[in-house]
Amino acid sequence: MEIERVTERPISLYAAAVLRIGYGFLYLVFLLREFPHRDEIWGPGSPWTPELARQLFDQTGWLSILTLSDSRPYFESCYALALVTSTLFMLGWRTRAVSVLFAVVVASFHARAIFMTDGGDNLILLMAVYLVLTACGRRWSLDARRTRRQASAGKGPAGPEGSGTGELRHQLAASRRTLTAVLHNCGMFVIAAQVCFLYGSAGLYKVQGGSWGNGTALHYVLNLDLFRPWPELSRMADEHSVLIAIACYLTVLLQVAFPFVLFGRLKYPVLTMLLGMHLGIAVLMGLPLFSGAMILADAVFLPDRFYRALGRLRRRTGRRTHSTEAEASSCGEGPLVPPQPRQAPPPVPASRRSSAR
Amino acid sequence: MREARTEKPGEAVPGGIETVEPSKPPPVLLNAGTSAAVTLCLATALVHVLLVFLHVAPPNPLSRQYSRQINAWVFPLFEQNWRLFAPDPESVNRQISARTTHTTPDGRVRVSGWFDLSGIDDSAVEHDAFPSHTAQNMLRRAWSSYLETHGDDDRPRSERALMMQKYLTDIAVDRITRHRGGAFESVQLRVVTVPIAAPADGSGPGSSGAAPKPVDTRYLSWWKVTSHGN
Repeated sequence: MEIERVTERPISLYAAAVLRIGYGFLYLVFLLREFPHRDEIWGPGSPWTPELARQLFDQTGWLSILTLSDSRPYFESCYALALVTSTLFMLGWRTRAVSVLFAVVVASFHARAIFMTDGGDNLILLMAVYLVLTACGRRWSLDARRTRRQASAGKGPAGPEGSGTGELRHQLAASRRTLTAVLHNCGMFVIAAQVCFLYGSAGLYKVQGGSWGNGTALHYVLNLDLFRPWPELSRMADEHSVLIAIACYLTVLLQVAFPFVLFGRLKYPVLTMLLGMHLGIAVLMGLPLFSGAMILADAVFLPDRFYRALGRLRRRTGRRTHSTEAEASSCGEGPLVPPQPRQAPPPVPASRRSSAR
Repeated sequence: MREARTEKPGEAVPGGIETVEPSKPPPVLLNAGTSAAVTLCLATALVHVLLVFLHVAPPNPLSRQYSRQINAWVFPLFEQNWRLFAPDPESVNRQISARTTHTTPDGRVRVSGWFDLSGIDDSAVEHDAFPSHTAQNMLRRAWSSYLETHGDDDRPRSERALMMQKYLTDIAVDRITRHRGGAFESVQLRVVTVPIAAPADGSGPGSSGAAPKPVDTRYLSWWKVTSHGN
């Protein structure tokens, strides 16, 4: 039954994990890239002064931890906190709590420098907020590794049973499981809808523009000084007016079609072409952060079996190339039972075991 | 399966729990609370998606009628705009420069030469695979926000317009201080808008004719700054 699927089983746990790892990594890279400019963007020395930021917050209702104090040490510790939070979020350590912290950090940094943001930053902010709802730490995370170790050591997540309090605890746990699953599924649904709105509106607004219609839009894009890190490359691309026109049409078509192809096999070629488009934008326009955010957003539509196959592939190639290294690290990991968690990740059986009682 | 079980109204006697089998239905209260929370989650998700859709979509009767509710929910956290290069990409490059005045101790006012603020950005972006937001977004967005709040007139008509003027001044002052130095008490901006030429071959029935648009130069008024340098 549909209702049961929504309330019982969290869907697309791997996609959620990919979003967590991806956006955590992207934000970390962004923070590190702007390290030399951190004061100019978010700090007390920014031309968008803390005073201006606070004045704007009074008008818009934003909040930011960065405007709580104008002192330089306070700012530096916020920056350090952001680095640590992004790293822990990426690794999936105490994921639910850290995800809240990550959302607060991203929102704070976004709001502080709101006039320096672009579409990529906007998307990262939305995803950071939505990911709080999801169980994005269940796969490919430190949390998952800990659960696996506890399971193999014999102390499952469920406590002692039999007594009255144990029974009540069991019921509370079942209730909590349901709520977690529902929250997660709602979060994933909102993320998917959000990405559809993004592409849908990006495409439909382009249809209204004359330059996309006559196939010259990308000519103008390629000639914007601020988005031309490799002028020779842009000039070279600009010389092929037929290819430019095809790329214009393809861009609009892909974006408009996006929400409608997601439910069939057609989504794979469309996602692949979008990947190509974003890679092109990343290199030609010097927008790797924006493109990275978009590529990750697309990844939410790939099914779990795709990611499981990817994981198997990685393990197989990893075993072939780094077999000695893997052995060394698994020795260091202590009481982890190596062969068992390899094939199917155990958190699923663990939760199924307790709900079947 | 579990759903069917939970719908059965079980006895809510807390004392009875101890003796029953593990398959006993959960207490009614807990059950009802869970169902209510689940319903709330689903409803919130649907309403959120609907409101974001209305926020993203062009203005229409529905979004006009509920604009207050939409704005209350969406702003500021879920604000978004995906008109990426739409409906048309910018077809101009802007070159923003600044010059300053300095009053010498003997009372004479010296006006400096023009200092190219955009040039700093352009050279920072060139041959950088990952340009900084300070180069790609700072001055560009400051100017577009200034245009939004001022239009073609330099008189600020709102608090926001004044804030944008202050922001632009700060950016100019920062860059001049860092790259050129020297003392000054006021600053003036000049914005040269250079249209990007239409494609060389067959412009076709495009919206713009064959005639290239002229270069537009706009001088803003002199803005006082808290004195810098010395």
